[in-house]
Amino acid sequence: MKVRPSLLVETGARTMVPTLLVVSAFLLVVGHDSPGGGFVGGLLAGGALLVVFLSGGRAAVTSMLPVPAGAILGAGIMTAVATAIGGLVFGRALLDAGKLEIDAGWFGSWSVGSALLFDVGVFLVVVGLVSTVLLQLGDPEEREE
Amino acid sequence: MSVVLAVTAGALVAAGTYLLLQRLLTRIVIGLGLIAHGANLVLLGSGGPPAAPPVIDGSGAPISDPLPQALVLTAIVITFGVTAFLLALAYRSYLLTSSDGVEDDVEDRRIAGFAGGGST
Amino acid sequence: MTGVLIFIVLALVAAAAAVAVTRTRVTLGLVASAPLAAMAIWTAFAAESDVLEGTPLTGSIGWLPTLGVSFDIHVDALSLVFLGLISTIGAAIAVYSAVYLTDLAKARRFLALLALFAAAMTGLVAVDNIYGLFVFWELTTITSYLLIGFEDRKGSARAAALQAVLTTGIGGLALLGGLVLLSQETATTSISQLVANPPTGTVGTVAIALILIGAFTKSAQVPFHSWLPGAMSAPTPASAYLHSATMVKAGIFLLFRLSPGFSTDPIWTPVVVTVGLITMVIGAWRALRQTDLKLLLAYSTVSQLGFITALTGTGSPAMLHAGLAVLVAHALFKSALFLTTGSIDAIAGTRDIRVLSGLGRRRPTLAAVGVLAAASMAGVPPLLGFVTKEAAFSALIDTGQWAALAVVAIASVATVAYSLRYLWGAFATKPPSPEADPKGFDAPVAPMGLVLPPLVLGVAGAVTGLFPGLVNRFVSAFQPGKLPLIPGWKPALAVSAVVVAAGVLVHWHRDRVGRTQDRVGSLTRRLPSGDRAYRGAVALLNRVADRTTGLVQSGSLPVYLSTILVATVSVPAVAWFSSGSSVDLHPLSVSVGEIALAALVITAAVAVTRAPSRMVAVLLLGAVGYAIAGIFVIYAAPDLALTLLLVETITVAIFAFVLTKVPRRFEQERSRFFGRFRAVLALGVGGFVTAASIIASRQRSGPSDSEIYAELAPTAGGSNVVNVILTDFRALDTLGEITVLAVAAIGITVLVRGLRSEPGEGT
Repeated sequence: MKVRPSLLVETGARTMVPTLLVVSAFLLVVGHDSPGGGFVGGLLAGGALLVVFLSGGRAAVTSMLPVPAGAILGAGIMTAVATAIGGLVFGRALLDAGKLEIDAGWFGSWSVGSALLFDVGVFLVVVGLVSTVLLQLGDPEEREE
Repeated sequence: MSVVLAVTAGALVAAGTYLLLQRLLTRIVIGLGLIAHGANLVLLGSGGPPAAPPVIDGSGAPISDPLPQALVLTAIVITFGVTAFLLALAYRSYLLTSSDGVEDDVEDRRIAGFAGGGST
Repeated sequence: MTGVLIFIVLALVAAAAAVAVTRTRVTLGLVASAPLAAMAIWTAFAAESDVLEGTPLTGSIGWLPTLGVSFDIHVDALSLVFLGLISTIGAAIAVYSAVYLTDLAKARRFLALLALFAAAMTGLVAVDNIYGLFVFWELTTITSYLLIGFEDRKGSARAAALQAVLTTGIGGLALLGGLVLLSQETATTSISQLVANPPTGTVGTVAIALILIGAFTKSAQVPFHSWLPGAMSAPTPASAYLHSATMVKAGIFLLFRLSPGFSTDPIWTPVVVTVGLITMVIGAWRALRQTDLKLLLAYSTVSQLGFITALTGTGSPAMLHAGLAVLVAHALFKSALFLTTGSIDAIAGTRDIRVLSGLGRRRPTLAAVGVLAAASMAGVPPLLGFVTKEAAFSALIDTGQWAALAVVAIASVATVAYSLRYLWGAFATKPPSPEADPKGFDAPVAPMGLVLPPLVLGVAGAVTGLFPGLVNRFVSAFQPGKLPLIPGWKPALAVSAVVVAAGVLVHWHRDRVGRTQDRVGSLTRRLPSGDRAYRGAVALLNRVADRTTGLVQSGSLPVYLSTILVATVSVPAVAWFSSGSSVDLHPLSVSVGEIALAALVITAAVAVTRAPSRMVAVLLLGAVGYAIAGIFVIYAAPDLALTLLLVETITVAIFAFVLTKVPRRFEQERSRFFGRFRAVLALGVGGFVTAASIIASRQRSGPSDSEIYAELAPTAGGSNVVNVILTDFRALDTLGEITVLAVAAIGITVLVRGLRSEPGEGT
């Protein structure tokens, strides 16, 4: 048996979720210069998914995700790894000794673009983790069908 | 590190250890959560007294040590992943045994029985 | 020159891998024997250099230069003798094995092990560094373990392999202890320097005792000899190699190597001579009783090893010279005899003396090989066994060791008798005994590969007997001495003649001798034996292990955790208090907000432990998290505060999801065994964390690394230093972290869905 959430929750969710998603994207983008970043942004997007889950259940979360949660995880890891490898190739070509002194300085590129791309990978992994958790551990009734 | 922070961290670890030292998996997970909080506070405290947030704004004001913060941020998210995993474990254990208690290892008990019986 | 030797050793290792892809047994035999043949050629070339004039070939490969450990190669005349035996006998056995082991897969595995063993053995005799020696010593132990336990489906073979590896392994540890003591005492790790400047005093004696234990276990001396007969469960070619030329000769090699310098130590001569002679007699005595040809050879090997060991005891050049000559003769005739036995087994399907009959008539060539080798063992002229035994008798007579001479002569009588017993048992036509179950020899004619290798080795014993100079060229370069074919009318010749005659007599009256042996055997059955000591020690070890495991491995998670925690807390605490340091408890700047939030955190944390239901506990955990987020704000960590707030929210929600599926209230703890101890331990751990973090944070001596990060963050294109660290400076760590997150997500999916698919949902 499934209890429908109250009208208040549903309406609230409908307005809240897009706002949360926009804020999470904002946090992700500005993360390099002000508080935010992939982890925070990803968790906030996860929070948005939680709201969706509370208002619409598993089905709502599934329909909101463009691809399965596993694919999001994979895409995140791939993005981060691609950035790392790209930075390695690119960084080696452009590195000078002064920057090499820094631990892991050979790693990643010095431009904003690549750091942001890496953060996008982090973001995707966090979103993938939260949605996996919600889909697998949430909602007992549907599981027992 | 401020004594207040150290005492708080100690209290969190003490409460967490207390929960860890028994057999219900959900309590163990909660205990681990408390211990993780304590560890995070120790890390944070290792950065010294607070100053401005570690965002360079060109004012040249002294900032808090960013490295412990980065470590703590990592630790928070990892703790989240571990907690979720342990909960899935507890859930499965409950479905299998209808209890979320941690049983004694049967194999180990058997070996202990060898020694008691004195036979090899 | 030594570079080539290293190359050959590497080729042996490569051959061990290469045999895996051989298709036929011919290529298999070629691949496995080629490096050994190359080594034999190398030995011949090396003999043309100055080695035999006393200039060793040397070389060095750095290994752990800072610790003074390197693979120093030192090939002198003694090494050359061993290299020659390892290579020539090894090549013959490699060819033989490729024919003997009819299953190609087994033959591949066997020859791979044999090649590795040969490589280890080569290193053992060519290395000059004590640690290198130990490493190769242990490598021979391990590879011989695999060879002895080659028939890994047979429990008896595994048990025999285990006994061999335990016995020689313990001896190896004793050897290591002795070598380390020596190097500490003399400040060198070079064996040649150790021999040149032997240690003196008590430490030297203890070290020598330990080294002797190592050598005696390896060379199967009483009381460690019982592993060798057990090791006969190995395939016969392995026995032929391990027990004629290599494994058991490793201990003897060490005795030869050290004897010139170490025999001045007060314990060396009495211990080595006594142990050697006792082993010689016991081995010969038991060889006389065996009905299995292979076991007969095994006890004969024990006896001969005792003989050679005893000859290394006095350190006199004549004795060492004779000892090394005997060793060469023994390697040749014993490997030929083992291979002959293997062929008999392959042809007749049995090695039992009571069953075999009439084989000599049907297989005259094989019988000729057996006669040639056994006659050499018995010391019949003009074979190498005779020449070398004459040298040994002469050395004993010349140095006036009458007691030793008497013992050796008596054991030699037995040697003649069991040599005859071997020939009679293997080849003679005799009436079947009542317990026998004779089999026909319907097997096809033995392939050349089963006859040729033992024939070559047996003929080598005859040729070198006729021309002993071939052997003496090497042996006399180790220690000066003569090895004449015709000894002249000396007392030694008389001893030989008496020994042979007496041996024939003993064989003639074998039935009466056998009855006497049975009577003595029933009397001595109660006496402690090496074998029984081994069994008792292993049983005791197992019992202690069970007790210990039962004690420390209770199976209870809380017990394990408390053990770890008590150790974690008490060890550093004791260290701190015993160091007598003090700590400045002056509180650094503390704000009112921090104190208030800390109070909230502590209150909520204590409340969690007392919560009546899971849900209350989870909500209180959330409260702790939010309060800590507040502390993060005070500590100027906006990223952390944001992250923690979000994580806590989602965590509480997940807890709620899961808790709806398990009982709402905490079940009563079944075990109250901890009781108050739990609380005390928890407080102890908490107090430890507080104290440790205060103490540690007062120890900072330099600035934080982050100052560089903060300086460089703008050049990295970001002003949020925390984020720049995560995505740039320490991005590799972050990559690792998100991998962990992904793994956790996969784990959750498997844990939950794995169960759900069981009813047949199919997801």
